[in-house]
Amino acid sequence: MATPDGLGRLTGPLGAGTGQRFPAILRQMSLVFDGLHKRFDRIQALDGLSLEIPQGHIYGFLGANGAGKTTTMRIALGVLRADSGTLTWGGVDHRRLRRATWGYLPEERGLYPKMTVLDQLVFFGRLHGLPKDEAARTAMAWLTRLRVPDFATRRAGELSKGNQQKVQFLAAVIHDPEILLLDEPFTGLDPVNVVLLRQAILELRARGKTIILSTHQMETVEAMCESIAIIDKGRTVIDGALRDVKRSTGRQSVILATEIGQSLTWTGELPGVRVIRPGIDRVELDLDPGTEPDAVLAAAMARNVPIRHFEVADPTLEQVFIELVGHPADTDSSLAPVPEATRDEPRTEDASVPESPAA
Amino acid sequence: MIDRPAERPDPVLPNTGIVARREFTERVRSRPYAASTVLLSLLAIFVSFLPIIIRLVDRDTTTSIAIVADDAELAQRSESIMRGVLSTTAGGSPDSWVFTVESDRDAVTADVGEGRYDGALFATRDPSGRLDFTFLTGQGLGADRTQFVAIGTFAVAFLEWTDLVNPSGDVPFLPPTLNVLAGAGPNAGGVPLAATEIASRQLLGTVLIVILFLTMTIYGMWVAAGVAAEKETRVMELLISAASPRQLVLGKVVGIGLAGLVQYIAILVPAVLALAVQRPIGEALGLGSSINPPLSGITPGFLLAYGSFFVLGFTLYALIYAAAGSLVSRVEDLQVIALPMSLLGIAGYIQAVLALSGGLSGFIRVASFIPFWSPFVMFTRLTVGRVEPWELVLAYGLLLLSIGLVAALAIRVYSAGVLLYGQRPGPRRILRAVINPNA
Repeated sequence: MATPDGLGRLTGPLGAGTGQRFPAILRQMSLVFDGLHKRFDRIQALDGLSLEIPQGHIYGFLGANGAGKTTTMRIALGVLRADSGTLTWGGVDHRRLRRATWGYLPEERGLYPKMTVLDQLVFFGRLHGLPKDEAARTAMAWLTRLRVPDFATRRAGELSKGNQQKVQFLAAVIHDPEILLLDEPFTGLDPVNVVLLRQAILELRARGKTIILSTHQMETVEAMCESIAIIDKGRTVIDGALRDVKRSTGRQSVILATEIGQSLTWTGELPGVRVIRPGIDRVELDLDPGTEPDAVLAAAMARNVPIRHFEVADPTLEQVFIELVGHPADTDSSLAPVPEATRDEPRTEDASVPESPAA
Repeated sequence: MIDRPAERPDPVLPNTGIVARREFTERVRSRPYAASTVLLSLLAIFVSFLPIIIRLVDRDTTTSIAIVADDAELAQRSESIMRGVLSTTAGGSPDSWVFTVESDRDAVTADVGEGRYDGALFATRDPSGRLDFTFLTGQGLGADRTQFVAIGTFAVAFLEWTDLVNPSGDVPFLPPTLNVLAGAGPNAGGVPLAATEIASRQLLGTVLIVILFLTMTIYGMWVAAGVAAEKETRVMELLISAASPRQLVLGKVVGIGLAGLVQYIAILVPAVLALAVQRPIGEALGLGSSINPPLSGITPGFLLAYGSFFVLGFTLYALIYAAAGSLVSRVEDLQVIALPMSLLGIAGYIQAVLALSGGLSGFIRVASFIPFWSPFVMFTRLTVGRVEPWELVLAYGLLLLSIGLVAALAIRVYSAGVLLYGQRPGPRRILRAVINPNA
């Protein structure tokens, strides 16, 4: 399907991971999910999910609600156990790893509302093995880094949701974990705090941390991640370097700008061309595979349209996601149906699954 | 298939201790904790003073005692002296005591057991001339009344000595013996206990069982509410990535248990002080010396038994409450799922109360070995009755075994329950969680 970029080979649409996509030496330094299966009653949450996440990368983990992202992260944390498959970090089975290897920011935000911020950061730091003094020092350093040192003595319940989210992020990183699992870290934050948190995450990456970023915000992934995976119905749809994933569909985008008063509606009539963002003096076009950008430029010149701007770009990640999955990332994924042969249990009201098991 | 590598290294310590410390600190600093400490202390003091209150209200109660003696003369003499002495010294009206001379000891024993008499006094004279009395107490006969009977028997013996045994003054006075037997209840037919000890143990048992039941139920609900609140506030999502279910469950039980123990001491100290000052208060209220010294029943072994039954009983119930708390998404939903546990505790409490007042002795004996009830019932038997050493060992053994089993099951339910949101956990789901928490 797509070419490797030296880090890994892309998997094809709806194809399961093939394993052994890294040279052995790199594999030893990666977080490798290999053929994970997980089923809740009659729902197949993970269906052979395979990923290889290079050490020290910020890795975008994309999927609609119900695609299996949270289940994958819970298996990594040891909260759930896979029915089959393996998960290794640096070649070591994840269940042999210390719990402090992981830092986790769950999508569902929550803190002890009556406990002071400093007390709870120290509490979580100590659970991960930090001595009390060191936990307090690190917590204060992080609070200062996020420009909220005065939060230390305030109760979490007194803070806004956005600020609670920052505190929860600190609870995930206070013990300096090797791998960070961040589930929708930017949701609910104001633009200033988004920038602060982005800087903090990039800083952690610069310190060699491996960061898995699960989010629906495609522009965030495009801005921050070096490699990504798109999963759907518990399977890996595609994974690899961001640039290769974006080019994997064979589509291209063209941005064409002219003078006000000049109509660009004719662009939608060109063969293999679709208008994705119309504007008063500019248009963004999606080109089918095989349609050359030059054809758009030639058509404009043939119509004597004054061209002020012409740009050929990769498709957006959102376009790629819709192309490969069939719907936007912020909609629910229909969960994978269970094969007829395995439908051996009667459906009862009790036979439900944990909330968003595969979310 | 997945292979079976070694499990994640999650030793119990230090994380259990860290969780326990947080639970303890948060609990003892909370206003509800302070408020419940004050309320329970007041309740314990009230229960401690109940004998005085009952005595004040109950001055006109009539107590019927049957008297059976070796010979008719001794029986008539005893009836006459007891009636005369007790009607004037027992602080009640002349109708407070009714004595009836009977001849058939077995029939009288049955009558006491069935409640037709409040008690029966059996008088015998040994070859040396000394009088021996056995007092068979029925249900509901207060400890103070038993003590009055003891005073009456002393009067019978003394007057017999002065009138019959020693008219010349050569024979020394031999105080009578008085053995008290429970005519009903778990100790029916048991070894004799001193009247004052029976009285104080019954009073102590009442106070302590009430406190035991209330605190175990309240602390158990603290555990359940704590787990449910962690789910409701979603902090659970962070917790389960930072500590194992075993560390979280045990830490919560230990932390809240310690907070409970501190409150316990804060409740017991004023209650014990209230018991200690009962006699002077009773005398000041004109109840004479009819109030027994209740603390005479307290021994180191008694305290050890009470402490151990509290700790083990709380642990057993708290583990179940922790599992129950993990199955609900909101604290408000807790009452429904906690109700069966509360009923289980209430059943044990009722049996303990029955054991204190007598009746259903066979069933109570069995109930005293059942782990969910033994903290209440076996402790009550220890308080007012006779317990063989093997019975105690068996009760403790079964309790410890149950705690181990329940802990394993509770941790499995908790592991699955903390991930459940917005669902009503039915029996099938709970069973599946026990069999495979990750399913």
